[in-house]
Amino acid sequence: MFAADGSDAALVSFLIYTAAVFVLAAMSNRLLKSKSFLSEYFLGSRGLGVWAFALTFAATSSSGGSFTGFPSKIYTHGWILALWIGSYMVVPICTMGFIGKRLNQVARRSGSITVPDVIRDRFHSPLLGLMAVSLIVFFMSFNLVAQFKAGSLILQTLLEGVTLFESTADGLASAVAGIPLLSSAESPEYLLCLLVFGVAVILYTTYGGFHAVVWTDVMQGVVMVLGVIIMLPLAISQAGGLENTTKLMAKMTPPRVSAPDKGGITLTLNKPREEILRIDTGTWITDEPIPGQKVPLLFRVTKSAIIPAGKTTINEVKVLQLTTLEDIQRILGRKESEKFLDDVKVSNIDLKAYAYGESGTQQGAYVSGPGPSPSSSNGFLPFSLAISFFFMWAISGTGQPANMVRLMAFRDTKTLQRSICTVAIYYTMIYFPLVIIFCCARVLLPGMEGESDSIMPKMAVFLTENIGMGWLAGLLVAAPFAAVMSTVDSFLLLISSAWVRDVYQRNINPEASEKTMKLLSYLATFVVGTAAMLVAVNPPQFLQDIIVYVGSGLAASFLAPVVYGLYWRRVNAAGAMGAMIGGFSVHLAMYVTGYFVNGSFFKPYQLFNFDPIIIGLFVSFISGFVVTKLTAPPSDELVQKYFYINKANS
Amino acid sequence: MSTAPSNDTESMEVDPVFLNSKREAWIILGLWVVALLWSVPYCYMNGFQSGLNAETVETTLGIPSWVFWGIAFPWIVADIFTIWFCLFYMKEDDLGVAHEGEDLAEEIAEMHANEDEATAGGNES
Repeated sequence: MFAADGSDAALVSFLIYTAAVFVLAAMSNRLLKSKSFLSEYFLGSRGLGVWAFALTFAATSSSGGSFTGFPSKIYTHGWILALWIGSYMVVPICTMGFIGKRLNQVARRSGSITVPDVIRDRFHSPLLGLMAVSLIVFFMSFNLVAQFKAGSLILQTLLEGVTLFESTADGLASAVAGIPLLSSAESPEYLLCLLVFGVAVILYTTYGGFHAVVWTDVMQGVVMVLGVIIMLPLAISQAGGLENTTKLMAKMTPPRVSAPDKGGITLTLNKPREEILRIDTGTWITDEPIPGQKVPLLFRVTKSAIIPAGKTTINEVKVLQLTTLEDIQRILGRKESEKFLDDVKVSNIDLKAYAYGESGTQQGAYVSGPGPSPSSSNGFLPFSLAISFFFMWAISGTGQPANMVRLMAFRDTKTLQRSICTVAIYYTMIYFPLVIIFCCARVLLPGMEGESDSIMPKMAVFLTENIGMGWLAGLLVAAPFAAVMSTVDSFLLLISSAWVRDVYQRNINPEASEKTMKLLSYLATFVVGTAAMLVAVNPPQFLQDIIVYVGSGLAASFLAPVVYGLYWRRVNAAGAMGAMIGGFSVHLAMYVTGYFVNGSFFKPYQLFNFDPIIIGLFVSFISGFVVTKLTAPPSDELVQKYFYINKANS
Repeated sequence: MSTAPSNDTESMEVDPVFLNSKREAWIILGLWVVALLWSVPYCYMNGFQSGLNAETVETTLGIPSWVFWGIAFPWIVADIFTIWFCLFYMKEDDLGVAHEGEDLAEEIAEMHANEDEATAGGNES
């Protein structure tokens, strides 16, 4: 099977990759010796040039989701994902240009190193600084755990099927059998990936600081764009051209799927087997058409099942059924290279249709809006949600502290100007091509809906094997791994800087020596990383939902105070607090209301059909404005410091 | 430690970096609104249709036409605008030198001043 070659390539590329990351960390560590330690360790001495700044910004913003969740969504819902991601056309200029220049200037003028630093200095309010740091630690800690899990899952997907990996995982399982926390992990494979991934990230981040993170981000950014550039022509040509892909997609109808709790199909073997028969996930099963219909039956197993020795029947096998004739014929036409279960009869078919996308009026669901959806009868992306996502990427991206820190680190305005252009071209080369590539995946690899999270590695292996260059898959599958790694290291440094700089140095011991701060910085990064990794051994459920909650919550809390602080002379500390508390609490309230109204915290209440991020931002800006107007203006001294210069200087 | 004495407004002028950044921020916000008003309504009116005939789905360069004119084309336009804006419109302002450690030094000074006030009574450090 081709999977084995691709996975070995993944292992090799992973090892080369990790080695390169450590070389970069060692080089960064040498920089730490000569300059102001904290500013270098957490902010790279504000000296980032165009490539470093552009790629660290781009790579941090595109988390692991860009190469796992996003391809999976394109595959599942079709062309509508172009609209879902559409606001990325203005994301670079919005997230970098809107506050970049001014934030960098204010941070220089005050000597701020972290985002809470800027807020505290700009408003001359330790209380506001403490609020900012509490929110960052609260939100980002959840996010860090979630990203650790995401990274491990990606690595696990990539390494699946590699013999060395499987045997090491088994060895690890027996080694940790007696250790309380570690032995309770989801699976030995997950634990192994978590430890390898976690230890690598923690070590290089701790040792090298900000520059290590930035340089590895640059490398990761290059890997990501190379992956896409190589895959695009391969995908289009193998799918028979883009025109052909779209025409085929127009004819597609969504698969029928078995509900997780009950239903499925009954399989009956023509004769009993002497050994246990294991039916793996991804196995194809076919049978004659139902009388009166022309389309042959074709199912793909979505959860592995076992038929005991001597038995012939198994009930409720979880599958999905292909419903598009062209797809079925394509799979049956390459029966030799696919894994089929032969000599078997199918009966008791109990499968569910998609909530949107199958009825006669919804033809062409994969090439039109709102896109097919298994669960929502309004489709995947109704109008109001399309607007929410336009807000989500461009506006909420501007409000992310991890992005803001980077805006404090570039060298000069020229660097910012060129970097925005670089990121704009970079995103254009990644996001729209990804939509095309994974639309082609619908044609090339039908029936992957059950395991769509691993569509990226599967597609990489499929495309490269077809041109006889399996080794190339290694480079391609490194892209998602690079994406998640570059996000985790930034978050890790953000939290440790919050503890060291904002909590310890600014509130507990401002006169701590350089040596103490150095030791504490290493220690905090290491401890925060290790703690997050240990929590991720048994991570909370709903991780994707947590990531969404955290991202929008941070934007609702931070965007308005920072924008007001940079651009409005009249705003005062009370107004900034009003904006921060207003945004945070209204956003939280929509989620809590969702718990009572919709039965789950992660199905937030949607006022006027809008996502909580829009309502949260709206309230944050309004309350900041109202509180400022109702309270005394800030001192002249503060306003002059940040908004005026001496005439002689100009 | 501010840049000038608080009541000496004669010798001060509004920081041009602030003014330039603010003007640029308004334009960027405008660009976002234009992108939103172009993409979402266009896609909604042309791409959200029921009863689509699979054989006659309109394409441009192989992409469904509503995606091409609603997303791909404005994306290119936005890129061209971004490059023009950054390289030719955005002012190349001097961001000043970094006052590393100044905020901390200021707070330490304030802290000592308060301590001294509490013990000896208003002796400036």
